[in-house]
Order: sequence, then C-alpha cells, then structure tokens
Amino acid sequence: MTQANTFDAIVVGSGMSGGWAAKELTQRGLKTLVLERGRNLQHIVDYKTALQDPWQLPYNNRPTQQDRADQPIQSTLYLYDQSTKQHFVNDLNNPYQQAQPFNWYRGYQVGGRSLMWARHVFRYSDLDFEANQREGVGIDWPIRYADIAPWYEHVERFIGASGENSGLPQLPAQVLQPPFEMNALEKHIRSRMANKFKDRKLICSATAVLSREHNGRGPCQGRNQCARGCPFSAYFSSNGVTLPAAAATGNLTLQPDAVVHSLIYDDSKRRVTGVRVIDANTKRATEYFARVVFMCASTLNTTAILLNSRSPRFPNGLGNDSGVLGHYLMDHHNGGGATGAYSGLADRYYRGRRSTSMYIPRFRNTTQREKDFTRGYGYEVYTSRASWTRGLETAEFGADFKNQITRPGPWQVYIEGYGETLPYRDNRTWLDHDRPDPYGMPTINVSMSYRDNERRMSQQMMDDAVEMLKAADLENVAGFNRETVPGSVIHEMGTARMGRDAKTSVLNQHNQMHSVPNVFVTDGACMVSSPTQNPSLTYMALTARAADFAVERLRRGEI
Amino acid sequence: MTDRRSFLRGTSALMAHAAFPQVLAAFLANGANAQANRFFASPSDTNRVTLLVDLILPATDSPSASEARTHEFIDAALNACATTKQQSTFRAGLAALAADGFDNMQTSERIALLQRRAKADISLPYDESFFKILKDYTLTGYFHSEIGATKALAYERVPGGYQGDIQLVATQKAWAI
Repeated sequence: MTQANTFDAIVVGSGMSGGWAAKELTQRGLKTLVLERGRNLQHIVDYKTALQDPWQLPYNNRPTQQDRADQPIQSTLYLYDQSTKQHFVNDLNNPYQQAQPFNWYRGYQVGGRSLMWARHVFRYSDLDFEANQREGVGIDWPIRYADIAPWYEHVERFIGASGENSGLPQLPAQVLQPPFEMNALEKHIRSRMANKFKDRKLICSATAVLSREHNGRGPCQGRNQCARGCPFSAYFSSNGVTLPAAAATGNLTLQPDAVVHSLIYDDSKRRVTGVRVIDANTKRATEYFARVVFMCASTLNTTAILLNSRSPRFPNGLGNDSGVLGHYLMDHHNGGGATGAYSGLADRYYRGRRSTSMYIPRFRNTTQREKDFTRGYGYEVYTSRASWTRGLETAEFGADFKNQITRPGPWQVYIEGYGETLPYRDNRTWLDHDRPDPYGMPTINVSMSYRDNERRMSQQMMDDAVEMLKAADLENVAGFNRETVPGSVIHEMGTARMGRDAKTSVLNQHNQMHSVPNVFVTDGACMVSSPTQNPSLTYMALTARAADFAVERLRRGEI
Repeated sequence: MTDRRSFLRGTSALMAHAAFPQVLAAFLANGANAQANRFFASPSDTNRVTLLVDLILPATDSPSASEARTHEFIDAALNACATTKQQSTFRAGLAALAADGFDNMQTSERIALLQRRAKADISLPYDESFFKILKDYTLTGYFHSEIGATKALAYERVPGGYQGDIQLVATQKAWAI
C-alpha cells in the first residue's frame, strides 16, 4: 500500500452522483480520489462546439454514415449530432450484450452524462416512497419523504433550478428560481386545462437551468444547446458546479482514464480496502486505497463492478449475499402521447430558445387505484410554431414555397408521457465472462422488457393525452402508443437496491452496503422503484445524505 | 432591452475567458476540413443539381440556394451522410432527369418535369424517392448555411435570454433553429 495511492475516500465515477459525492466528502475534509473511466473534459475550455453556427459544423450538423457506424446506439438519440457526438461513447470500443434490445446511452468523460442530461429536477413524494409497501410490489423503500426532504433542499439551493411549484401533494414544493415564460399556446392550454380539470395542471418544469444569476453562474442565454456544454455555466453539470467546488477545498484528486475493474475486499477486516484500476490508454493495472468507497459509476457500470468484485467471501459479487444484485432493472417508458395543432394565436411568437419543457404532473392513481394498472405518469409538453422542416414532406417547391416556409408556421404541440415501470426480478444485468471487452473486463449483458402493467399504462397515457389536447381546443389531435426499447429514456435504475432487509436488498437506508459497511452505492443502482419523475435530483440528494452519514461514521471510527 | 444587456454580459464573460481564442480557432478548423470527398460524378451532375436546388429555393427577397452553395453542400454531404441505397436512388434520379432532356430545357419545362417527379415520388419511402432526398439535402443545406439561416430565416447564435410571448410583426422571419 503506497502513500501516493492512498486516500480517505474513493469515488467511482464523476457524473451526476460522483460529482456530489466528491463535493460533500471533500468539503467535510476527506482527501478524495475521483476515478473517471473516460477522458478529462474541462469546463468551458473543452466545449469546442458550444458556440458554433450550423454552417461551421461538419455537414451543417448532419451525422455521417461513419458516425452512425462508430456509434450505432448513441446516434439514435434525439440529442445526437455533429455538435454533441463527442460527448457520447464509441459503441464499438465499448461493447455490451443485449439479451433483449436495450439502448444504453453513455457518456464516458469527466462529468459523465451530467453534461448532456435533460435537466428536469423533481422531488419524489411519499406517494412514491410508500407505493411498494402499499401494493405489495417488490420491497419497501427504507426511507420516507421526511428523510430525504432536507437533502433535496440542500441540493436545490446549490445547483440552482428554475420552474414552478405545482401545489400538488404528489409533487412536493421545491426551492426554485422564477420559471421561464410560457409561450402563447402554452398559456392557452394552461387556462383551458384549469377550466376543465381539477387535478391536471400545466406548469413550467423544474429544471436545473438558471433563469437568474446564481453563485456567479448564468443566467441562461437562450441557446438551448446545453448538450454541447454551456459557456455560461447556466445549467447544472458536475464539470461546471460540483467538481469545481470539490477542487476548491484542496482535497480533490481527479483521475480520468481510470477504468475501475473491481473493489478489493479484505476478509480479515471485513472491509473494502481499495479498488483495482485499469489505465484506459496503457491498460496497465493500478490499485488505489481508501477507508470508504462511493460507487457512482452509473447504474449498469456500478453493478458490473460489484459483480466483478469476487472473493471467497463474496463469490457472486461484492455485497451480494441476497442474490438480488443485478436484478430489478428499471427504466421509464414514454411510448404514449399525442400531437396536435392550433390555428389561432397567429400573431404571437417567441424569441430565444428555451431549454426546458412544460410539464403535467402525475394525476392517475394518486389518491386511490382508479385504473387497470398501478402507478402513474407525468407528461412533458413541447410547443412551437412549425419551422422550415414542415416543407420536407410536401411535393411543393419554388418561390411561393420558400416564402411560406421561411415564415413562422402554425402552432404545434407534442406531449409525451413518462411512466413508472415496476421492478421485475428477471429484468436484469449480468456479466458475460466469456466475452471480455477491450479493457479485459467481462462485458455487461442486459435483459429487460416492459410488461402488462406498463402496456396498460401506456394506452391510458395516450388516451389522457388526447383528452387533454382536445379539451384545450387543439386541432388534428392524434394519439400515439408505440413500443419503446428499454433504456431509451436513459433513466436506467435499480440492480443494487436499498431495503430494510439484508436478505432481499443490497443497501440499507443510508445507501450503505448491508454486508460491507464502508461501501456506498448512491447512483441509480440503489433505486427500489421508478417513480415517474425524472430521477437525477433524487440521486444527488441520496448521495449528499449518504456522504454526510459516511463521514459521521468514519469520525466515530465505526467504518 | 434586458435581452440585449444580458446578451452583452454573457458574451463579455465568455470573451474574457482565457481559452476563448483557442476555442474559436477549433470551431473554424472543424468546419473547414470536413468536406473533402465529393459525390457528383461529372460537371454535368453538378450543373444539374445547381439548377435543381434553385428550382426548389430560388432567389426571392433572399438569395437562391446556389448562391448559398447548396449544391456544394449536397456534393459533400451525400457522399458522407447518405446510405448506399440513398446514394444509388439519387444517382438514378439524376440520370433519369438527364435522359428526359432536363439539361437542355427551358426553365418552365424544368419546373413541369420536377413537378411531375415530385408528385410521382411523394408516396414513395424516403430511401426510394429522388425528390425527397433532393429536397431534404437542399433544405438542410440552405437553411443551415450562413446565407439561408441569416437572410432567408432569422438566426441568433446567442439570443441572450428567452421571451415566451411576443407580438409577431409582419416582417418577422421564422427562427432558423
């Protein structure tokens, strides 16, 4: 054990959760090593496409066939183009197996996917934390809203988020800057919905984008090109917010290009003593040591590292006495929704590109079971005036055509539900030891499918979307209900769940491994259910809460 | 005018950043070196596509597609971005127009021929439709060019903020992105 490789704490991963672990641990005085498997990516300096105009990008921002060949999964994402492709992984160099189709969108660089996330930040409520127990589904969450509420507030105050509180109990009030303004059609829909529904509201999403300056960051300059990286630091990312705060303490060591192979377990101490790392460039193995390890490598990678950490004590993966490690994988599903148009408000327009959507909070099954499925969904609502792209599908061309499509087109709306997926044991990930990846690690295999509850919910997602758009007097309302590939919402979660009982879960109520007290898992892997709201805020809050607990126990010499 | 103020504040903050010149240099280098390989087989291909893009987007109160070098974009982008199937559809479509005498027609005859082609193509899948591929690359190339985005449409690289609900004045062009 060398001095140079020894720290108080190791954080595996530098994304949404890892950045928070780094900040909280370093600010509490722990010398902390953050290991990131991808390359370094410096805030602002490395956002090389951030201010490029479309004509400055290769092929006017159109992906090439070579791009699609190198990134066959990543290039299917709505965000993917010439300005963002460098933030997504090369699929060929980072293979995984799909026992069933699973779209795994990945960002291997410092900051991880906090660089390209969709920035919606909602709290969960006790409707969510109590659901499993109430319905006898899966296992009970070992925490309730009161346990996490102060940590939600702690995170919100630091990251800076804008938006509107709904006033609905299922979507608890948050610390928010003023929302971005609604456009004319959104105001219209909001007022129609208020007339016709008691419990369905159109609000401006709570979003980690600053509408006002906050700690020297922002405000948002209306580019809506967040995934390129923000030169104004107007949205929250690890790169721009938590990692700089951690670095400012003098306690942070950030090591990019460090692929964690496994955790080192010492049977006599019944503790993990460190991690084995493969240099992404030289493939050379190194070991780092610490008193506590935070796993924040993202859901599937965190669980893969734990499964790969085998020892006589843990032959099936670290902390896997229960046998549930790798099981109960979840993602949201967003196949149900509707589109519509509106011929009114022809004299209203907007200026700037708002980098958030409107939102309709969950209203189904909130007070009692009312449908042929359990749980619920919220909607993201996107409205705009049609652009020149409306000319693509027609047979027209010429001067009149050009004059027409260069004017703002009719108002249009797109509304898409985001539904909860229940935890199923056979939705899972495991390691394929016969097929090593380029780093000598076993490849990750994934098998996940949606079931009857999700399918019935998706049908209702469509029906409700149609009903609401019609209630708002929209025209040409058309519902859709399509099959979606798991992973596509990029809210993959579960596989190392929290719980009250070590026989049925991996982690306790503090995200601490039941059987190895100096290992904490605070990314999406810890999730017990998949409440419909976007999950990142909860990962951040759980991470901060677990870090506080871990440091306290370290001080007391208990771990 | 809060927009304008916040725009200037944001830009000056960025300009003050030590790395800005390097960042800018990287932008320019990226755009310049990407489009080396070409798709068109002959000068007559190039001429035909130049005529076609101007039939689709002629000069109006803004420049034509060829003035924005849309035909050059198509030459490079079809080579790099289109699938083999799309490329062969496009080649066949160009050859069919040549066989119909497109190159030697009057403008009105060319318009009539392209209209027939458009009507015949509209029910075809994209990959099998010469007209759909042509229109896609023409519109994308033009409206994402500097001329198309800033003269035919309205473009703000850094809008400086967001105003959700404003009066649409008669001269307002649609936003480019």
